[in-house]
Amino acid sequence: MRSTTALRAIVGAAAIALALSGCTADTPNNGDTIKIGASLPLTGEFSQGGLDTQHGYETWVEMTNEAGGLLGKPVEVIVRDDATTQDTAVSNYNNLISKDKVNLVLGSQSSLLNIPSSAVAEKNDMLFVCPSCGSPDMYNRGFKYIFFSQQAVATDQAKVFAEWIANLPPDRRPKTAAYPSLDDPFAGPVVEGAEKILSAAGIRTVYKDEYPATTKNFDPIVNAMRDAGAEIVVQGAQFEDGVNMIRSMNRAGYKPSIVYQSSSPTYGQQYLEGVGEQNAEGVFFSSSYSSLAKTNQNAEFVKKFEEKFGGLPPEDAADGFAAGQVLAAAVTAVGSIDDQAKLADWLRNNTVETILGPLSWNADGSPKGEFLVGQWQGGVSQVVLPTNVATTDKIVGWQGGPI
Amino acid sequence: MTSLIQTLILGLLVGALYALMASGLTLIFGVMRVINLAHGAFAVLAAFLTFTLWQHLGLDPILSIPIVMAVMFTVGWLVYITVIRHVRGSHVSMTVLATFGIALMLEGIMGFIWGNTSTAVRVSYTDASIALGPLYIPQVMLIAAGIAVLILGGLYLLLNHTWAGRAIRAASANESGALLVGVSVATIAALTFAIGVSTLGAGGAMLSTIYPFLPGSHYQWIARLLAIVVLGGLGSLPGAILGALVIGVGEIAATSYLGAAWPVAVPFLVIIVVLITRPQGILGTRLREDAVA
Repeated sequence: MRSTTALRAIVGAAAIALALSGCTADTPNNGDTIKIGASLPLTGEFSQGGLDTQHGYETWVEMTNEAGGLLGKPVEVIVRDDATTQDTAVSNYNNLISKDKVNLVLGSQSSLLNIPSSAVAEKNDMLFVCPSCGSPDMYNRGFKYIFFSQQAVATDQAKVFAEWIANLPPDRRPKTAAYPSLDDPFAGPVVEGAEKILSAAGIRTVYKDEYPATTKNFDPIVNAMRDAGAEIVVQGAQFEDGVNMIRSMNRAGYKPSIVYQSSSPTYGQQYLEGVGEQNAEGVFFSSSYSSLAKTNQNAEFVKKFEEKFGGLPPEDAADGFAAGQVLAAAVTAVGSIDDQAKLADWLRNNTVETILGPLSWNADGSPKGEFLVGQWQGGVSQVVLPTNVATTDKIVGWQGGPI
Repeated sequence: MTSLIQTLILGLLVGALYALMASGLTLIFGVMRVINLAHGAFAVLAAFLTFTLWQHLGLDPILSIPIVMAVMFTVGWLVYITVIRHVRGSHVSMTVLATFGIALMLEGIMGFIWGNTSTAVRVSYTDASIALGPLYIPQVMLIAAGIAVLILGGLYLLLNHTWAGRAIRAASANESGALLVGVSVATIAALTFAIGVSTLGAGGAMLSTIYPFLPGSHYQWIARLLAIVVLGGLGSLPGAILGALVIGVGEIAATSYLGAAWPVAVPFLVIIVVLITRPQGILGTRLREDAVA
């Protein structure tokens, strides 16, 4: 009886270990293909963005191979699921480099996962082009191989939006602001950057707090913002927390004239279905991408993405594709992947034209550009700022009200 | 004062949903001493079933509850027959491993069927509230609380006024004694597991209308539900209800008065205090083996 129980325990434990780790085996690179490895959160809390990024990588690989590959060789991307856990992400990159013998790596999704993952690439002297590395904490470690393939770090993500608010005529400018934020290395700095600009413009902070990722009930947070009389809400959100916040604001009858959320509104149809079109109306967000932009390869990307996955590409898919473009530009220009320090040096000294627009970098790998500001209008994600690239000249308040 | 009353209203409504979800967990432990780590995954499965009925048939989540409960009853029975029955009576670590394995398997199956993206059910009452002067009562949470009262009331009647219920309580109190008086404990255990998962079906259906969810959400739910049943006393249904209300009010009050970071910590601090002062939980019963230990 005891031995049967022990056997069951061993079998059970083995099954769980297998399920958790997945089966991997050493797969030496035969040299005919350029293998690119990436760990992504395909399950767990950040799976929404992880799957979109995977679609972006896959679209880039397909289009690259159709155009003749990299350095004349076909490209293959190997994606491992990290289940939105840092330890697994680190383990995945170690395995991709040591067991799968990948030639190049691309980043994971979210700063949370990329902070430890980038250290693995750095240790192995491998270029780490990253589609989702907005946290400023990524760039204060003296790393030489990390490059963020979007326009700006998190502290500057809401900069264009906040400066626009700060420059509104005094009679239209809100006087009080609330800053709820997910406790996350990306979301927090977005809010801090916005608060700095808005405070300097005389907009008083009446609520500011960070909530953990496990937070389900936003009603007390909304009550506190409402009772404090905040006229503008700037939320550092991922996805579910952004949806929950809008739902709670409706339930509490709290209607600030301006609502900004990071990340959450960029999830396109998922966001619309979560909050409803009338509640998405007027929500501001920062975006690295517009499917309407006339940027390098964007028309082809949108067409290919629609063929492969249906619908317009979400922001994370576009960011994944752009990371591939950055990697390809460096590899093509240098002409070799043997010494990846040369790839990093090339990126530090050049500008890459991507579907997000031109990207260039500081010495620490942080980007030099500015984000677009988007707004949901009539169920369509419009670019409203900067005005020279806006897809509409109309800007509305939350739920279509005036500003 | 208004703020305090609003906090209590929200806390009790949230607690009622937690109670509905935790009742099955404590019932299952009470009868078969199995800590069902798959309970959160069953809740998310029920939420996905509700979503499917709503999306494809346009069925309101409230109306879908009987269907979801029936499906979850069948799922619970099958899981008991195929897995739990074989590890029941083993060391507690074995049942923990087995149910964790079921949770992982369910997560994978749900991801395969529905995808690993966030899902939400939006109905007319999702964002609506009833205004009471300066106070408000979210309709969706009020409905969830009403359903919790109905289901838990039904469970109470089942346990106290039916032969099957008396058999469940007998098996829970003394398995050997129940066997001696002719109760088929094996059948009762299967029935209890199925009922526990079925009541959770109602909780999962309402969960889908209040919170977005995805296959990986079950980790967050099982942590909450375990905290509730430990606080109330493992195996005690009234304890689980009381524990759920305490945790619900505690979470909302902690956010309101201490800060948004505190709801995670406060319930566990309460549990630590309760377990130090009353190790069997608020309404748990101290067993002879506990005294020996």
